[in-house]
Amino acid sequence: MTVVKMCGLTRREDVDAAVAAGATALGFVMWPGSPRAVRPERVATITTGVPSHVMKVGVFVDAPVAAVAQAVTAAGLTAIQLHGREDAREYLALGVQVITAVAPQSDADIRAAIALPGTVIVLVDAHDPVQRGGTGRSANWPMAKQIAAARPILLAGGLTASNVAEAVNAVEPWGIDVSSGIESSPGIKDPARIQQFMTHIRLSAHPPTRPSVGPSFGQRDPDSRGYFGEFGGRFIPETLVAPVESLTAAYVAARTDPAFVAELQRLLSTFVGRPTPLYEASHLTGDSGVRVFLKREDLAHTGAHKINNAVGQVLLARRMGKTRVVAETGAGQHGVATATACALLGLECVVYMGADDMARQALNVFRMRVLGTTVTSVDGGSRTLKDAINEAMRDWVANVSTTAYVLGSVLGPHPYPLMVREFQSVIGAEARAQILRDTGRLPDAVVACVGGGSNAMGIFDAFVADRGVRLIGVEAGGRGIRDGEHAARFAGGVAGVLHGTRSLLLQDKHGNILATHSVSAGLDYPSVGPEHAHLASIGRTEYAWVDDDAALRGFVWLARQEGLLPALESSHAAAWLQEHLVEFQRGAIVILNLSGRGDKDVETVRGLLEVQGPGFGGGR
Amino acid sequence: MSRLVATFERLRRTKAPGLVCYVTAGDPDIERSTAVVRAIAETGADVIEIGVPFSDPIADGPVIQRASERALAAGTSLTSVLAMVADLRTTCETPIVLFTYVNPVVRMGTAAFVDAAAKAGVDGVLLLDLPIEEAGEMRAALDSRGLDTIFLISPTTTVDRLRTAASLGRGFLYAISRLGVTGARDAVAGTARPVVEQIRAATDLPVALGFGISRPEHVRETCAYADAAVVGSALVQVIADAAPGDEARAAGALVRWLKS
Repeated sequence: MTVVKMCGLTRREDVDAAVAAGATALGFVMWPGSPRAVRPERVATITTGVPSHVMKVGVFVDAPVAAVAQAVTAAGLTAIQLHGREDAREYLALGVQVITAVAPQSDADIRAAIALPGTVIVLVDAHDPVQRGGTGRSANWPMAKQIAAARPILLAGGLTASNVAEAVNAVEPWGIDVSSGIESSPGIKDPARIQQFMTHIRLSAHPPTRPSVGPSFGQRDPDSRGYFGEFGGRFIPETLVAPVESLTAAYVAARTDPAFVAELQRLLSTFVGRPTPLYEASHLTGDSGVRVFLKREDLAHTGAHKINNAVGQVLLARRMGKTRVVAETGAGQHGVATATACALLGLECVVYMGADDMARQALNVFRMRVLGTTVTSVDGGSRTLKDAINEAMRDWVANVSTTAYVLGSVLGPHPYPLMVREFQSVIGAEARAQILRDTGRLPDAVVACVGGGSNAMGIFDAFVADRGVRLIGVEAGGRGIRDGEHAARFAGGVAGVLHGTRSLLLQDKHGNILATHSVSAGLDYPSVGPEHAHLASIGRTEYAWVDDDAALRGFVWLARQEGLLPALESSHAAAWLQEHLVEFQRGAIVILNLSGRGDKDVETVRGLLEVQGPGFGGGR
Repeated sequence: MSRLVATFERLRRTKAPGLVCYVTAGDPDIERSTAVVRAIAETGADVIEIGVPFSDPIADGPVIQRASERALAAGTSLTSVLAMVADLRTTCETPIVLFTYVNPVVRMGTAAFVDAAAKAGVDGVLLLDLPIEEAGEMRAALDSRGLDTIFLISPTTTVDRLRTAASLGRGFLYAISRLGVTGARDAVAGTARPVVEQIRAATDLPVALGFGISRPEHVRETCAYADAAVVGSALVQVIADAAPGDEARAAGALVRWLKS
């Protein structure tokens, strides 16, 4: 559905008619030189009772930031639209949505519009050397289309019931801005013309289409030795070098083979259930004025993002002629996903799982066995994820000719960190298209939990080039940042080599790997994906940690406020947001990657909450 | 001439079967482990591989995994292993190769490690999870102090990689007889001989063959085409099974039997 902004409103009855007709933004002209000018106090009066999802936009021409700030407060605006020569960046700190009007006349104007900050919504209007807006003249549609191809736009300029369908078809904008086209005289709207206008939008052949998105391949490859900056590489026993090289060659060939990509896309949509929704969690925001969107990976088949990668790698294994798959699992989610993909595609599957994790996740062990997979208990070392990886690698070394190792995170020797990120990149590709569709702009921040870091890399990937979007990874603080009590690599890690890759490791002074602890088995790992370490080293990503107790609060928060049971892994990201929500500006947009559902953790949570006693977390 | 080069020249000159013995340092503790190494040097080991225990030994089977866990539990570290070698060097002239995963070395720092290893009297270093492509800096550092870099060759190694390893390796090449992790087997793998013959075609460097060798007949069979046989897990198992205090005698007895 095309977003509609009705502009130049001056009367209460016109506000009501616009909302009733389905307008999602209302425009009020604050520029005194306009025949439709209206004072901020009057805007406050005529917009009382307007639903909170409807944006209240003040239109300004070269007003100083302080004056705009005053008007925002007095009128109760949730957005400002700048029509003069203002630099939109100077107004971003006001904490309301910024819309910038452009009137492109050259290729340079188009490039400048595309280069505006991602958090700004671009409105394309007619060029008029004298008047600004509301002129009844059409914008340059071909140029508007070029901008709309690169980022969402609001199309303005002389739109009426008789040309709006044609405009939508020609430009394919995210939304429409209409003013004089629904008036009987300047500033006086006509209910019949409003209805007629909306009817003709619905008749357009191209209501904005949902972008068709899939995994993103070949966009940000590491160097030829598999390094992202100083992290990554290939640190493996000699026996694995040739198999890993042939895997790399097979992967690089597959990702450029349209038949492989098409088969993957088909399975992602028909078997996995993609795209997963982007859900606006309006109960989470409280009084913060922040818009929180959840990327619903918990709704992917098997209940977590892991299936995206498992289907991709098992498809690749079959293409390479392998008949057997080995995998490791911590929480059991990757094990279940791999077992599922192997059942689907007809490969034998063996999953290694730490003995302690098998006890914590007994139901997932049973699920894998039902799917026909052999689950092997690992009793060595700390009996958790890292030991399961050790054992899976030993199996692979012994059986390389028939067997593929399906690694579950952005870890291990090159090409795994690249391959797993690319199979997971569908998360970010969808989320980016969805947030642009739903809000017309990029988010201020994307938040995800980080164990090995595959769900985080998957959703971050699409936003890495959008410098204005904060990318925040949340690690497991366990029982606090002391050796053996946590899994926060960015809080206590030192560069080193584990499981085939150079990254940040929790290790002792002699280079032995420390035990880790987290209430969440999926985050309980001493190393982190090398690309995370790299992106942090260049300042592109940020990392924080929350402890076990906070994660439980995050679990309860999502359960009570939104009716969602998040995985304990995802609960860490939720808990971070719960604690930091107030630090975002009003109007900020945050995407939280809900990487998996929490059914698997209900038993664990029950045990812990019963210890905490009744009343834990409080009511809504 | 390095001790390793001299030893393999002697083996070739005398046409004697060579025996390379692996032990995990610090199993069950540094003191008894030192006694074990002295015993196997005296009973006929031609080269001794000293394994540095690591928390996550992905290339090792259960026997050496357990040995590593015992050694770490006893407080063994790369630092204490190097001190152990220095101690051994006061009485023992058998060539010593340090057998280690790369992370303890990374943590110590390449330069500090090479310096300490050279001062301790280490002759060669084999880094299990540092393939040729990543080994440039380490090899140059070892070379500058006269230490030999030992590379592994496996049944999956391509001819191109084998040539590179042959040109960069010093002392000897360690051929892996079969796919898989370390561990004793009843028979030498059928893949062993072709691997060694492929190496022979590419280089004159001596070849020691390991993985799965546990009996005197395995050593004899192997040395018909290789310069030496490597025995690891079988020896580590004997040490694990020995009564406390009897480890050195038991290990020496095994080496004498293997040489028989």
